[in-house]
This record gives sequence, structure tokens and C-alpha cells, in this order.
Amino acid sequence: MIRENAFARRFFMAVTAFPKTVLFFSFLAILGAAAFLPLLNKDTTPDAFIAADNPAVIYRDKVKEIFGLDDPFVVAVIDRRERGIYNPVTLGLVQDLSEQLGKLRNVDPDRVTSLATESNIVGTEDGMEVDDFYELGTGRSLDPAALKAAIEDFPLYQGALVARDGSATLIVAEVIDHTLSQSTYDEIRAIVDASILPEGVEVHVAGEGAISGFLGTYIDNDATRLNPLTAVVITLVLVVAFRTFAGALLPNIIVLATAAAALGLMAAFGVSFFVITNGLLPILIGIAVADSIHVLSDYYELAVTHPELSRREVIVRAMQRMYRPITLTTLTTIAGFMGLFIGAEMPPMKYFGLFAAIGVTAAWFYTILVLPAAVTLFKVKPSNAFALNKSTDVYGRLMTRFGHIVLRHPRTVVAVVAAVAITGAVGASRVIVEESQIENFQRDEPIYLADQVMNQVFDGTNYIDMVVETPNREDLFKPDNLARIEALQRYAETLDGVQGSTSVVDYIKQMHKAVNENRQEFYSIPDDDFLIAQLFLLYSTSANPTDFEEEVDYDYRRANIRLNLNSSLYRSNREVIAALEDYVAKEFIDGGMTVNLSGRVYVNFHWLNTIGDNHLRSLTISLVLVWLMASLVFRSALAGAFALIPVGMSILLIYAVMGFSGIWLGVGTSMFAAIAIGLGIDFSIHTIDRMKELAMTGSGSFDERIAPLFPSTGRALFFNFAAIGLGFAVLTTSEVPPLLKFGVLVGIAVAAAFIASMAIMPALAKLLKPRFIWPEQAPHSDAVGLKPSSVKAAVAAIAMTGIALLAVAGKADAEDLPDGREIMQRVVDRDEGEWVTRTLIMEMTDRSGTTRKRETAAFRRYYGQEKRTVMFYKSPTNVKGTGFLTYDYPEADKDDDQWLYLPALRKVRRISASDRGDYFLGTDLTYEDMKKENKVALEDYDFTTIGQEKVDGHTTFIVEGVPVSEEIANELGYSKAVWRVDSAIWISREAEMWDVNGNPLKTIRSTEIEAVDGIWTVHRIHVENHKTRHQTLFRFGDIDYKSEIKDKVFKTRNLKRGL
Amino acid sequence: MRGNPRGCFRTPLIMICCFVQPALVSAENLLDEAEFSALLETRFGWETERDELQFGEAVFTPEVNMRLGESVKLNGIFRFRGDTEDRLEPGRPSEDNRDAISERAFVGDDVDIELRELYLDIDLEDAFVRLGKQQVVWGEADGLKVLDVINPQSFREFILPEFEDSRIPLWTVNAEIPVGEDSLVQLLWIPDQTYNDIPDSDAAFAFSSPRLVPRLPAGVTVLSTEFDRPNSFVEDSDAGARFTTFLDGWELSANYFFHYSDTPVTRRRLLPGGVAVTQDYERTHLLGGSFNNAFDDWVVRGEVGYSTDRFFITEDAGDSDGVVKSGEVSYVLGLDYQGITDTFLSAQLFQSFIADHEDGIVQDQVETSATFLVERTFENETIKLSLLVIQSLNEGDGVVQAELDYQLYSDVNLTLGADIFYGDEDGLFGQFRNRDRITFGVTVGF
Repeated sequence: MIRENAFARRFFMAVTAFPKTVLFFSFLAILGAAAFLPLLNKDTTPDAFIAADNPAVIYRDKVKEIFGLDDPFVVAVIDRRERGIYNPVTLGLVQDLSEQLGKLRNVDPDRVTSLATESNIVGTEDGMEVDDFYELGTGRSLDPAALKAAIEDFPLYQGALVARDGSATLIVAEVIDHTLSQSTYDEIRAIVDASILPEGVEVHVAGEGAISGFLGTYIDNDATRLNPLTAVVITLVLVVAFRTFAGALLPNIIVLATAAAALGLMAAFGVSFFVITNGLLPILIGIAVADSIHVLSDYYELAVTHPELSRREVIVRAMQRMYRPITLTTLTTIAGFMGLFIGAEMPPMKYFGLFAAIGVTAAWFYTILVLPAAVTLFKVKPSNAFALNKSTDVYGRLMTRFGHIVLRHPRTVVAVVAAVAITGAVGASRVIVEESQIENFQRDEPIYLADQVMNQVFDGTNYIDMVVETPNREDLFKPDNLARIEALQRYAETLDGVQGSTSVVDYIKQMHKAVNENRQEFYSIPDDDFLIAQLFLLYSTSANPTDFEEEVDYDYRRANIRLNLNSSLYRSNREVIAALEDYVAKEFIDGGMTVNLSGRVYVNFHWLNTIGDNHLRSLTISLVLVWLMASLVFRSALAGAFALIPVGMSILLIYAVMGFSGIWLGVGTSMFAAIAIGLGIDFSIHTIDRMKELAMTGSGSFDERIAPLFPSTGRALFFNFAAIGLGFAVLTTSEVPPLLKFGVLVGIAVAAAFIASMAIMPALAKLLKPRFIWPEQAPHSDAVGLKPSSVKAAVAAIAMTGIALLAVAGKADAEDLPDGREIMQRVVDRDEGEWVTRTLIMEMTDRSGTTRKRETAAFRRYYGQEKRTVMFYKSPTNVKGTGFLTYDYPEADKDDDQWLYLPALRKVRRISASDRGDYFLGTDLTYEDMKKENKVALEDYDFTTIGQEKVDGHTTFIVEGVPVSEEIANELGYSKAVWRVDSAIWISREAEMWDVNGNPLKTIRSTEIEAVDGIWTVHRIHVENHKTRHQTLFRFGDIDYKSEIKDKVFKTRNLKRGL
Repeated sequence: MRGNPRGCFRTPLIMICCFVQPALVSAENLLDEAEFSALLETRFGWETERDELQFGEAVFTPEVNMRLGESVKLNGIFRFRGDTEDRLEPGRPSEDNRDAISERAFVGDDVDIELRELYLDIDLEDAFVRLGKQQVVWGEADGLKVLDVINPQSFREFILPEFEDSRIPLWTVNAEIPVGEDSLVQLLWIPDQTYNDIPDSDAAFAFSSPRLVPRLPAGVTVLSTEFDRPNSFVEDSDAGARFTTFLDGWELSANYFFHYSDTPVTRRRLLPGGVAVTQDYERTHLLGGSFNNAFDDWVVRGEVGYSTDRFFITEDAGDSDGVVKSGEVSYVLGLDYQGITDTFLSAQLFQSFIADHEDGIVQDQVETSATFLVERTFENETIKLSLLVIQSLNEGDGVVQAELDYQLYSDVNLTLGADIFYGDEDGLFGQFRNRDRITFGVTVGF
């Protein structure tokens, strides 16, 4: 103890000797971490919850590629009047909405499906005719009665496109980019709201696309609103606890540092901010505040009892006493969160655990450094809450009274706790594993209502796709194969929840009937593969050949069966999926045909399937790790188990709440256990540590010795609990059910852990008198607490954990067209003149529309293959005179030489050759783009000509360039580029680039291309960056290829002389 | 000593006009060719320790660039500066350190007007002459001075401002003559005897470190103070030459400068009943060189200088005049890194060595300091965050300068900064440990 304390004293004396330095470097570290924050990427999509290499996801994406199937937006038009939708007004509305939806920015106009876009298949005397449903009347007019008859004669559309009773119809729209779903949902709602609806007609917007896209943002928006509120509430608790400005401010600085470290590192390692990451913030706030509450409580207490000591001495003594429990709780909390990291499979949960652990480490780090330094440096006034005349305040007295009761009736306390434990165990058996995206919305949200209505009226808006694959082309013309598909469909339709199905077989039967004078007995699969092929051919001659794109592939080798289910609930669909998998395993065992399941319902099944296991696994791992850590720090396996009691209590209590109130164990709620352990264990550690100290150093009976625990540590723990508990209580005001539940559960967990640690631990300690608290031999002061080596081991363990965490996070990481290379060779060979003088105006516009303008004069001259360029800024005034000189050498391995003249320094500065992919002076072109001036380095890319296209009325070749290696791609910042090269002048008129992850990056448009002095010259380049939404407009003027530019213009000495 | 502020500009102006006369076509043409621009900067500095403003400045800097025929250009920069606090240069400074032709004009205590630069650029085909009041910068170091000693400096805000603003431009003849393809000889002649502006003892940044201000033994009275500045136009002028060349990616220079050190040497003379103090300036030869090259994302640069005659304050009570003369070698090695997108990192090591060190000298024989600079831009270079740390490794003191610059519009910048000194109060930086400040500025360009 003495030696250890001497070490601690030396450490904290050192920290407080250079408070400015410590604070400065701490703030530097905060700023350093925070500097990464702009890079933080938000990913609120549900797909983020599934590992990208999960087979279900891979297959789903494949299905999407082959059949173009995707989670759509669905608009339902319901006409509750007697004749249903079959009247000109409602049908007109459907047509109108279909058209408007098709015009939306993010909606694929070719993939809007409704009565107004689909075709009827009818038999005629000479075979079959395909007509738009809206053109069945005389003179191709809309005839509601004929339409009704046609639909009733077309089983495929019943229940899917039109309600079986004719009261409703759907408009299905697929979106191009799911990340924009939120705005698309808003736009569709706006269209619907703007429509004039006749009496009795309702329009609803739902569909998996809408739900998935909207959900993330829905939760995220609410959390963004609530998290700051959490901080405010916690600050209020601090004000009540300390009643000083510093007491409220300092913990908030630790909070800031902790959040910056956790989120900054997330950004630095490229981990996205997921929907559930919102829950991380209140936890980090709670933990960061807890550490400082304990230190400041002790500080204020000491300041009152030892008014003669200097501020520095008081804080050093407080730190000497408190650093140990803080270090211990940090270690155990890290252990708790690491359980989540190790046990969970879903990436967002894994990272939740990892970055919570990192945040906790940061909170510890800043608490032991910033707090003592700040208290030493600033005038931290004594707190009224700790005034001398009243040794403790109302909260302390409350805790004292509580302690009396506990110590007087230890058996009763144990009995009550046991009762809670039993209730919890019963509750746990009633907990249901379930998740449904739609249930995440409030019951009165329009999207929730819409989903309800649609699943009642139609066959259901939840889909399972079954992909049937045959070995050879055109195998699907074989009647046997079609019959097997039909059998599978019929079987599926017998399953509970499956309301209907669609496949290519339904179309074939309809066509077969149509070519046989619409006789019902021909609604069957023809027994002749030749006839089947004919039917498809016949259809394609009179209708859009892409009509079957969703049902069968181009080669007639693969077909898709889409099942409609009326529930998205995991429990009910689990049975359907199991039955289907059984059937497939039995019926499709020969090599002829294979069937694979896909679709949103199937994908969701896959990851929901793991929630229960994940939960149990991470719970177990967390408990074991925390037990190990607690055993280590107290040097007793029994003490480790003892520390788990309050945590176990809180978990059981939550199970009870969930089991009896019917809260599902879903994505959000499944994490509560790890969080409850991480937060709750702190109470145990502080309590045990203090009890040990009191039992050793105090005198008298056990009760007398333990009594001071309640007003001191108990009071601090009370505010610790109040801060965290109230922080989570804020979440209960959320409008989003999952956040609300999350807040309630964690709030209960923290309350339970607090009460348990204050009640059951002293009670049990009194009853059992365990050796780790109450040694049999007479206590000596140097036997108190931990041995020095254990503290060093603990500090080393924190450091090791930090390093390990960082290491782990670091891992997380055509015919007759000319050859592409030939085209680009011509581009490269284009004459640029030996020298050119010109002005260049750059207008940079950010996403908010603010434009900055820079005017420059530029000179370029070739010396053989070597190119020298110099550019001078003319405006704005604050950069006027800046000169930029480059020597670009032809040798690929020789770096450019670059100099910058900054008028502010009056000095020419050598700068290293810029990385090719870096952006040129804040514009949207890279240094490479600028240097090459509408050309490229041929050795960087493999080129392919992929077609021809008109751009601004000029014929261009479309050339695609893919960097020859990943290294080059990273250097350039592009994974792919496409140029549209005008073959008359060999200039790219439009180019698009994709970033290294394959996302669209920017579009470059070159216009006002005119010949100057016989050389084709681009006068205007517009670049739009799709990721940052920043734009740059380059305008070239006063172009002169004739006047010779003297050598000396390109000398460094000329830079400072300016223009 | 102080002349009429307007008169002090007249002589050189007349000289320039005579020279320029043949190149003038007509006054009208001249104005057509003239470009006017200006910066208006409003700055506030809040001194944290005193909890009040250190300065509240408005600085107006108009600039004119005029082409006078094919090969002659005229450039002029004025500076009007008003400060509500008047703590950086309280009252009107005596300006004894300045030559009459480089003095400033004062309006009241709060406003000063200075002709910052006024020079002709004359392009003589290959050679180039810059004639007039100008800044000449030698060397490769940032924020540290080994070769960058041509122009004196104003220490009204110690070393915190950009050198551009704190350097005092001098009337100079500056000729650059190319030699061969990639080499250049520069010749300087400076008849302007202006030296460092050192703040008065009641100024915010008044020197107190014993390295800069000699301490008299307790109880000793100063009987007289004498200040002497060289003032012979030719005899006391400074002259220098530099040879630079570009060889295989290396930029190299060799420098020679014969000059008066810009800081006065303070000597004491024991008299019955006290001491007499004299301050005067001493000549020295400076020999040195510099280099730089770029490798991938790295730039290495450095400079070294040897001054023959430097004078160091000694605390040896037995010393006859309180200063020790010695030669001094100093050098800077710098390494810049630009491998991180939008980020500039730079570190420098500075060392100086006093050849004939004696025990009483208040600084160590070998003095080492290091600087570290981080700059990062965000949002397409609209936001710039920079952090500069200068740390003395001998004394442990240093200064940290952090700045956030936001370009609101093309011509409007907002800056927020913090300057923090730390360390022992006898140190070069530590002497200002109570002068920490937070600054805010708005710069508008016209």
C-alpha cells in the first residue's frame, strides 16, 4: 500500500507539476481524434447488420442481378366503394400516380409496375394478343368493365396486383439507390398527399423498400435529438451533486474526450456509425461521468476536511485514493464490452462492444490525467454540498439510513433478492426472440398503418424468392421442369402465411389459355416444349420483351418464384422457411434442377436466427471475462463471483421485465446484457473495494466498520447511478419504440445494479464474512487493498487491451468499335502546342451553395517530354501573389519537382511532389487530372471501348478504363473511369470516375471546345463530386499558343517576382 | 532624432520618380496599368491571465502594383494600424532603432502608419534588380532565424505574428544575376540603418529574460544610459552576396553577409557610485549555406550559419562590461511530410554553439530547440487548422500556436487562434508565460 501509494503520488505529483502541458497534450489528443470525425460514415441500413460475406446476402444480391428483384416501394390504392377500383376516376388516379412515381429521381422508371403499366394476354382468332390493360376498350380506350373481366380471367394478378375482391390495386416502384430511400419515401408521400382522392378512396405507401430505407433514418433522427438531451440531464445531476461550476464542467470535458476518442477512432478505422451506435453515446457519457463523479466527490470531501492543504495536494490525495477503483472498474467494464465484441456476429454489435471498450479506456485515461491537471490549474472552488458543518447532505443521510436497514436485516435483503432472482429466471423462460422492422414504428405512423392494410387486402408485401436453376439453356421450355415449378408453388401456397405466388409458369398457362380461345381447360402447362418456346416468341412479338425479366432469365435457364407472405414476423416465417427447405431437399435431389431461397424475408430470417445465440454467447463471454478480471484485481475467485451478484441480479430482473411485458429479444434489446454488465459491474467494484478498505482500517463490529460506506461511496454511487439512469431515462421519451425499450431496460439494469450493490453486497458480506473482505488475522494497514504489483499489472493490462483493441480494429478494416487503347492513344497524341499562356478562373461551390472564386494566370511549356507549368494567383487578395511551379518529368519513376511561393513568407518553398490522387488546391480535380489536362497516362489503365453515345450532339466513343493494379487505383483514387471521347477532335467531352470502393465519385464535363491557333481547346470544365456534392467550374481565357514563354518564367527565382 | 514623418518618404520618392521618368508613357496609361488591392483585418486578442483584451486592432493594408513599361514594375504596400488597447506599443515608441527613412508616422498613441514596401522591379533581360524598400529572405527554416537576418524584426508581439508582418522592410539594392542554366548570384547593399523594434519595458511583450536583458547586481544604481545607432549612409551599410544553384534535385546556396546585428549590445561600466550603461550595435560577418530536396512525400531542408562576432550577456560579476564576445555557429534541419491527404507535417531541429563559451554566459554553450508544425485543411481547403509548437530543449520552455482559419467567402476569412507560452520565466518563451491569449480575426480582401 505504502509503496504503491508512493508510486501513485509520484505519478500524480508529476501530472500536476505541468498542468498546462498535460492539458495541452490532452486537448491535442482530443482534437486529433475529433479531426477524424468528418470522415465518419453513417450507415443506417438494415443490411449493415449482416456480414457482407453471409451466403444469404451474397445470394440475394445475385438474385437482384439476374432478375432485377429488389425491395420495392408499394403504393396501394384502395376504393372502398361498391364497385371497387374499376371506375374511370380511380383507374385514372392509378395511372396518374404511376406516371408521377416514374418521374421521381430515385425511382427506376422501367420498374414501376401497376395496372397502368401491365399488359393483358388474350387469345384471338390467329393466336394471342398482348394489350395494355388500359387499352381494352373500343379504340384502345380505358374500359373499366373490360379491365375487370380481364383481371378476373388472369389469376396471376389476383391478390398480387389487384385485391381478390377488386377493392384495391398496387403500384410497385423500385428505387435505384436505397440510401436515398428516406427522401424517396418523403417524395412519394408528397405526391400522394397532393392527389385529390374521391370519397371512399385511400392511398397508402409501404413496402419493404420503404420500411427498410426509412427505418434507419427514423431511429437515427430521434436519437440525434435525444443524445444531447442526455448530456443536459447528466449535467443537471452533476450540478445537484456538486453545486459548483467546475463540478459540472470537468466531467463534461471528459465526456467530450471520450466521445471524440471512440467516434474519432471509428472514423479513423473506417467503421460506420450504425443505427445502434446511437446507444453508444449515452453509455459513454454515463461511464465518463461516473469516473469523474468518484474523483470529484473525494476531492471535495478532502477539501472540506483538510482546508489547510493546497488545491494540488488535495487533488493528488484524492487521485491517490480513487485511481485504484477507477482503474479496476475500467478493466472490468472493458471486459464486459469485449464479451459483446467477441460474442456477437453482427458487425454493428461487434463494433459497439469494441468502441465502447475503447471509449471506456479513453475515459479512464482522461480522468487520471485531465482531472488532476485541471483542478490544479483552475480555481476549483469548494463545493457547498460538502460544507464542513454538515458532514453529509440529504443524499448522504438517505444512503446512511438505507445502510442501517440493510445491515440490520441482512437476511431479509437476501430473501428479497432471491425472490427477484427466481422471478427473473421464470421471466427469462418467457422471453421471445423476435424482430420485425415494421414493429419499430409507432402504431400510428402512416407507414405502419399502410403495412397493416396492405397485408390484409393483398396477398402480402413480404417476399420469399425461390430461384430455380437448370443446367442448360432453354431447359425451362421443358414441360417437366415447369411442372416441378408449379408443384413447388402449390406446395408453398399450402403453408401458413403464404398468400400467393408468382412464376413464369403462371404466364405460360395464361398464354396457353389465350391461344386456345380463352378456354379455361387450357389454363395449364402445354405438353410440348416447342409450343412453350412459341408462346414466349409470340408474346415477345406483341409486347415488351422485358416483361418477364422478373420471372425468368434471358437464357430460359433460371426462373424465380416469388411468394407473398402477410407477416414479417420471424417466428411465423421460420416455419415457412423450414418447410420449404425440407421440400426442396426432398424433391430437388437429382441433378436436373436446383432451388435456392432468397428474398428479404429469407435474408432477415438468417440474421434474426443468430440473435438468440449471439445474445447468449456474448452474455456468457462477458460474464466470464468480467469474473476473470474481477478475480484478478481482487486476487480471489470468490471476490470475482461476489462482484457478479449485482450484475446477475440486474440481468435477471430485465429478463423478468421482458418476459412478463412481452418485450422481444431483438437487435437492440439483445445488447442490453453486455451493456448492463459493463455499466453495472462498476457499482460492485467500488463497493467491494471500499468495504475491504473499511473492514481493514476501521474498528469495532462489522456494522460499525462498514457504516461509512453508505454516506461516502454510497452517495457517489447514487449520483453515478442517477447520472446514468437519468441519461437513459431520457431515451424513454423517444418516439421510436426500440429506443424507448432500450432506455427502459438499461435504466432498470443500472438501477438494479446500484441497489443490489448497496444492499445485497453488504448484507452478504455481513452474513458470510468472506476472507477477501474480512481477513481472520488482525488487519494491518499495509494489507489493505491491492498489492502494488497488481495495480501495475492492471495498468499494463489496460495498455495491452488498448493495443489489442487497436490491432483488432485495424483489421476491420463490341463489335467494330476501335480498341479502347487506340482511342486513348489518339487522345494522348493530341497537339497541345509547345507553350501556352492563359488565365484560369476556378469557381468552387460547396453543397450549401457558397461559391469561392480564384483567378489565376498560368503558363506551360514543353522541354521535349518534360513539362513545366507555373501558375500565379491574382485574386482573392488574401492569396494574391501565390505562385505554384511544377517540373513534370517524363520518367515515370521520377517525382515531379514542385515549389510554392507564399507571399506571407516572402519565400519560395520546396514542396514534395503531390500524390496524384490528392485534390488540386481545394478543387474537385486531382493533381493528376490537372497535370494531364484532359489526357491520361496510358500505362495506368486497361482500356475497353464499350459503345458509342451522343454527347451535346457529338458522337463519342465510350471508353472504360480500369486501373492496371490496385496500387495504381489507390494512387489515382479511382477504381474505374469512363470517358466519352469525341473522335473528331480526340477530346473527352464527358468523363465519370468511381472511387476505390466502386461508388460514383465525380463527373467531368468539358464544354466550349473551340480551336485556338489551330489547337482544339477546352474553355470550360465542370466537375461535380457526387460524394461531397462539391463542384468546381474551371474557365480558361485569353488562351495564347503563339507567344513564346521565356525559360526564366519557369525558374524558382521568378516565382517571387510574380506576374 | 525623429523626423517629420512625411519628409522621411520624400527623398526616396523623388529618387524613384527621376529614375522612372523615361519609362513613363503618360500618367493615364500608368493608372490603367495600376492594380489596387487591399486587406482590412480586424483582430482581437484576449489575454487569459489578465482576463482582458491584449489588443483590438484594425489593420488596413493597401497595395499597388503598377507596370511602368515593358520591363519595369512598381510595387507599394502601406499599413495603417489602429489598436484600441495600446498595450503592445504603449504611447509612442521612440524609434531610436530606426533610420529616419524607415520611421513610422503616429497619429495619437493608438494609430501608426508605415510605408511597408515600395520598390521597383527592373528586368534587364537576364539580370533582375529590385530597388527600394523591401524584404529579402534567406534560408530554409520556418520561424527560426539563422540566415534570415537581412531584415530586422519587430518584437511588439514577440515572435507570434507571421514574419511577413513582423519583418521591418529596408531600403535595399537587390540584384540577381543568373550564372549558367540553373545558378544565380544575388548581391545586396543596404544603406538603411534600421534595427529590431524592441518593446519598451511597459509593453505587453517587454523582454524580461536574463538572456535578453542584463540584470544588474542588487543595489547598483544606473548613473547614465547611452544609446548609439550607426548612422553613416555608406560606412555603416550592410552588404551581402548569395550564390544558389539547382543540382540534381538539390537546391543549394552559399551565403555571406556583412552586417550589424539587429539587437544592440548592452555594456556596463563601473563608476564610483554606480554603473553607466551603453547600448550600441556591433558588426559581424555571417557565412553560411542552405539546401533542400524532395523525396517522395518528404522534403528535407537545412541551413547553417557562422557569425564571427556575437556578444552574449554574462552574469559573471567580475566581467568588465557584462558581455562576452564569441563566434557562434547555428543550424536548422527540417523535415516536411505531405503523405497524408490535406495534411502538412513539419519538424525542425535548431542548434547553436557558442565557440568561446564562458561560465557566466546566461545561455548554455549548446542550445537546442525543436519545432513541430501540423496543418490540415478540410472541406476543399475552406477550413485550415494549424498547430505550431516551438520547444526549447535546454530550458524546457516553449510556445504553442494553434489556429483555425475559415474561408467564409472568396474574400472573407475568419480566424480563431490560441497562443500559449509555458516554462520557466527566465526562458525565452517562458518569460511570457502570463501572456497566453486567444485571438479572433476577420480579414476582408478588396
